[in-house]
Amino acid sequence: MKDLRLERDVQTSTNKIEARKVQVYYGTNHALKDVDVDILDKTVTAFIGPSGCGKSTFLRCLNRMNDTVASARVEGSITLEGENIYDARVDPVQLRAKIGMVFQKPNPFPKSIYDNVAYGPKIHGLTRNKAELDQVVEDCLKKAALWNEVKDRLQSPGTGLSGGQQQRLCIARAIATSPEVLLMDEPCSALDPIATAQVEELIDELRSQFSVVIVTHSMQQAARVSQKTAFFHLGHLVEYGETGTIFTNPKDPRTESYITGRIG
Amino acid sequence: MTAIDPTGADASKPGVTGHSLFAPDKRTNARNATEKRFRAYGVVAITLALLALLWLLISIFSAGLPAFRQTFIEIPVTLDAAALDKAGHGDPKEMASVTTIGYGKQIAKALVDEVKAKGIDVGTLTDKEIGEMISEDSSANLRNMVLANPKLLGTTVQFQALANGRVDGYFKGRVTMETAARDKNTSPEKLMLADKLRAAGIVVMKFNPGFLTMTDASDKRPEAAGLGVAIIGSLYMMFVVLCLALPIGVAASVYLEEFAPKNRWTDLIEVNIANLAAVPSIVYGILGLETFINIAGLPRSAPIVGGLVLTLMTLPRIIIPTRAALKAVPPSIRDAALGVGASKLQTVTHHVLPLAMPGVLTGTIIGLAQALGETAPLLLIGMVAFVKDFPGAPPSGLFDPSSALPVQIYNWTQRGDPGFVERASGAIIVLLAFLIIMNTAAIILRRKYERRW
Repeated sequence: MKDLRLERDVQTSTNKIEARKVQVYYGTNHALKDVDVDILDKTVTAFIGPSGCGKSTFLRCLNRMNDTVASARVEGSITLEGENIYDARVDPVQLRAKIGMVFQKPNPFPKSIYDNVAYGPKIHGLTRNKAELDQVVEDCLKKAALWNEVKDRLQSPGTGLSGGQQQRLCIARAIATSPEVLLMDEPCSALDPIATAQVEELIDELRSQFSVVIVTHSMQQAARVSQKTAFFHLGHLVEYGETGTIFTNPKDPRTESYITGRIG
Repeated sequence: MTAIDPTGADASKPGVTGHSLFAPDKRTNARNATEKRFRAYGVVAITLALLALLWLLISIFSAGLPAFRQTFIEIPVTLDAAALDKAGHGDPKEMASVTTIGYGKQIAKALVDEVKAKGIDVGTLTDKEIGEMISEDSSANLRNMVLANPKLLGTTVQFQALANGRVDGYFKGRVTMETAARDKNTSPEKLMLADKLRAAGIVVMKFNPGFLTMTDASDKRPEAAGLGVAIIGSLYMMFVVLCLALPIGVAASVYLEEFAPKNRWTDLIEVNIANLAAVPSIVYGILGLETFINIAGLPRSAPIVGGLVLTLMTLPRIIIPTRAALKAVPPSIRDAALGVGASKLQTVTHHVLPLAMPGVLTGTIIGLAQALGETAPLLLIGMVAFVKDFPGAPPSGLFDPSSALPVQIYNWTQRGDPGFVERASGAIIVLLAFLIIMNTAAIILRRKYERRW
């Protein structure tokens, strides 16, 4: 596998998402404390940290998936291009079309491969006719590096694919609504190393068009795919910076303990 | 303490160390024996259950199958225009003044003539007694036939008359010469004549479609009793239940499962729905009597009221399995749909509900099947009445008096004539057939819509 670190060139691009003083409570449990993060456009940002540190919780705040948890309460502000996504005027449905999400376990709909990808554009009315929709499906499957494997069986069920293919199908589904940010919650944890490598390569390609935020348990993965890394511990954002700096020269002793394997 | 040290440090204790694997130790033997006993209990229980089921089926079918065959007397009947249309205009309205008694005489005369023409020895029987071998219901059939087609007057028609219940019972083995001798409704001579008529081909036994199409009949005419009204009444009620309970039940389940906040109120509702499923059905009958008949003023014995009562009873039985089916849809599917920006309702209608459909349909059909067999609440809303006329076509027919299959069975078991025992058992077979069809439909639908994820 090519070492992606060698080609890493961090663009000094604009902030896509700015989070300020984000607090998350599940009932009385204070799960996330004072998180400040700026997520850059066209960059891969990795969230690392031990289990239960709040990294997935924070990820799910970014597209308001926490709204579906009745006991969850979010404070602070998260802005997408200057607009607070927790403003009362924001419809989470519209927000989620702009901020796509890929989940830990591949979860294609029990429908055909075509329908999986076409679902987002259909419900948001992004295409005017069948030909356009066909084109969107083809483009997204190509971007997700799945087209060549499935082009002859678009009508067969998405659940019949292998795990890695299913996850790439889910990525294709997420990018079909042409989002601006792509959130990935441990997208490779259910995949074997070869499928993982494919998805990682894909993430690096997607960086040219989207801002990608990835939660991962694997520090090697964070090091391979991301330009920026945030380390979470016990609900705090401990350290956030260039991936290279975090892994080679962490400032906080907790970060150092974690990446050297002493805690976590 | 007799506990065995698992490390085997105490070698004097048997069964842990220093023991060959080829010979089972005491504890293993005891465990295996327990398991064997447990399996034996299971086999015995299953065998008993199967025997009970077998006994049930044998008794129902042996008692009920004869209801599908009936004894008929086939004779040519000359329709005497002078007796049946005294005015002679061929106008059905005027002809209606001749009652069934007039037609009965014609049939009896036809039978006597036929017996004489064939030269059959009638013994000591009078012409009147010979005529009594024909069901009183036949004259009504002939009358309806003539009134529907007055041109038949004056012609001779080959008429198939129902035989009297005793004659029918004789050929089915229910009536014997000994019982006939004690029975003032028949006599051994009549039965002997019936034997001769059967040999002559005048009396025949054949499949009786009338059992499924005819209306109920009075106490003395079990041979003419049919399930027509009861089947239509039951179908109407199932229609009402399906149209009301399925949408209301599914909507309630979806709301409670997918939209409602989880708080004390929804908990209370949940507990109450679970309890409602266990409420005795007769309670729903009282509720229906008070609400739909006394307060809302709907007619008694009507399928609409029966359907409403059964809907109340079926609702919790649809809501509970539907909620279970919705719960069984993996949350990852909801996440996936919400993640691409589907609204809550789109998530439910596009993904969750289709995946829950097999469970919903199974629950609905099982609920309907239970409603189909329900008797007690229908008794309270007057569906046990004797109904001789078919209800009209829906929707107005839903308000006409009607019967229902289980109530008809109950009704027939209350009658004195032994002929009704056979009718009731036959009706049970029909009810079972409907239930088997519905359950098969449930299985087929479940298979068809079952999808893996």
